[in-house]
Amino acid sequence: MKAAVPYLFLLPALLFLALFALLPMGQIFYYSLLNYSAFGPSEFVGAGNFVRLVNDGNFWWTLANSFLLVLVTPVIMVVALSLALLVRREVRIGKPFRLLFFLPVITPIVIVGIIWRWIFAEEIGMLNYLLSLFSLPPVHWLTDYPTTTVSIMIVTLWRGAGYYMMVFLAGLAVIPREVEEASMIDGAGWLQQTVHITIPLLKPTLTLVFVVSSTAAIKMFTEVYTIIPGAPIANKTLVVYLYQQAFERFDFGYGSAIAVVLFLLTIAFSYANVRLMESR
Amino acid sequence: MTYAMKRAIIILTLSLAAAVAIGPFVWLISTSLKGSEELFAFPPTLIPHDLALENYTGVWNAVPFQTYLFNSVIVVLGTLVFNLTFCSLAGFALARYEFRGRAFVFLLVLAGIMIPKEVIIIPLYANVLKMQLADTLAGVVLPFAVDALGIFMMRQAFMAIPREIEEAATVDGVSPLRLWWNVMLPMTRPTLAALAIFTFIGTWGDFLWPLVVLKSREHFTLQVGLSYLIGAFSDNYRYVAAGAVLAAIPVLLVFLGMQKYFERGIFAGATK
Repeated sequence: MKAAVPYLFLLPALLFLALFALLPMGQIFYYSLLNYSAFGPSEFVGAGNFVRLVNDGNFWWTLANSFLLVLVTPVIMVVALSLALLVRREVRIGKPFRLLFFLPVITPIVIVGIIWRWIFAEEIGMLNYLLSLFSLPPVHWLTDYPTTTVSIMIVTLWRGAGYYMMVFLAGLAVIPREVEEASMIDGAGWLQQTVHITIPLLKPTLTLVFVVSSTAAIKMFTEVYTIIPGAPIANKTLVVYLYQQAFERFDFGYGSAIAVVLFLLTIAFSYANVRLMESR
Repeated sequence: MTYAMKRAIIILTLSLAAAVAIGPFVWLISTSLKGSEELFAFPPTLIPHDLALENYTGVWNAVPFQTYLFNSVIVVLGTLVFNLTFCSLAGFALARYEFRGRAFVFLLVLAGIMIPKEVIIIPLYANVLKMQLADTLAGVVLPFAVDALGIFMMRQAFMAIPREIEEAATVDGVSPLRLWWNVMLPMTRPTLAALAIFTFIGTWGDFLWPLVVLKSREHFTLQVGLSYLIGAFSDNYRYVAAGAVLAAIPVLLVFLGMQKYFERGIFAGATK
């Protein structure tokens, strides 16, 4: 009886995990080999869906866009780290700023999309108005390619900066004060100290942030779906393409093949991620 | 450079960044309060002339906003109860019991953490269809009711509790369930709160999955309802803005109320 206790405690969680994560993971590989419409019977087509993928321009475009979005990661990291360092330096003044930087993070992405779609609007948008103040021509934020990808990057930066600032602050908190103080006594200035002492000590957090934010970029859906709904599919991302194929065209087999590609892309990042967590 | 000057520069930089962070919200609120002519005014006005509160009543009456809100609350509460209960039970077992297969179970949990939901939505939806849960709130809740990362977090929290406390309680002869609920669980409160917060933020803001599962309007969550609002009122952005403001309020309240647990919760969420 006593030996059964841990198994009973684990049972509900494992049941959910098996049914709603591990089983679907297996199914996705199986589905990707089928010609499977949501409504009709399915038939085995082997690598057929993948052959179709290789020859599908929209697949390559959306894949490229998802990768392109990763490019904003270094920018986010620089901004977030700078904010974290500044906020930490001025502890008392920094507190309310932390709060403010955090508002974009907790805001649901659909709302973020609503906000930015209006800011990006071509004729009456705030952004083009600000550009006009500098006598710059209006930009087609919501329609032109690859401007649309830049628009999504701007939103990612706006929303991500505060989030990763928090992560950096948590990473900074575990650096022993003495290490930094010792370098101060040795006569290092703040900038020197930051570059030579603090940032190298922050390496695990930097890796973590890089992994998390680039994985998030590859999985991007909601921002694209809500901000540039009118743009052609080739301007969008891999997950939007997956959604379109599976839930607008009801082609589950083809959608699953896209999901397999997405999985292979994220698994490399996630693997590194878990390793990091174990070592923490 | 003097100390005061350096400080002034830092504060200026932070203020500028804060303006960028907050500006879009100000613009949203401003839009939500504008009259119809002012909406298209160029140059845009930041402070509306006549504070048109009718956008709020308008959107409240135009779409079943209360229903959306109610559905979102049900989904969040359901997910919270499942996730906190089952993750802490499983985390407790993994942290405090020696049993056959423990390493394997832990491996399954790690595998669960590595599976992105975007990857599995197609089979999940196929299964939800077979289980007759399509277009129901249960269909939204159940597939994401237990988060593998939550199990991991709770395991870490239970592992940090000193052995002596557990031993003292066991000598008194408490049952395992009581030991978990009365003795151990209260000691993991900070982690539990962190898990609750990021479950709340994640579930409240979740969009892709409810969008896939829910088909009829009376079952929409707030986020799905809002996304349809964009389409339905694309020429009346004041309504959309007012709806967005209303939908943001609950998150803001939770955020302000539970601030001190937030950093922990967000850091845990970052590893997802």
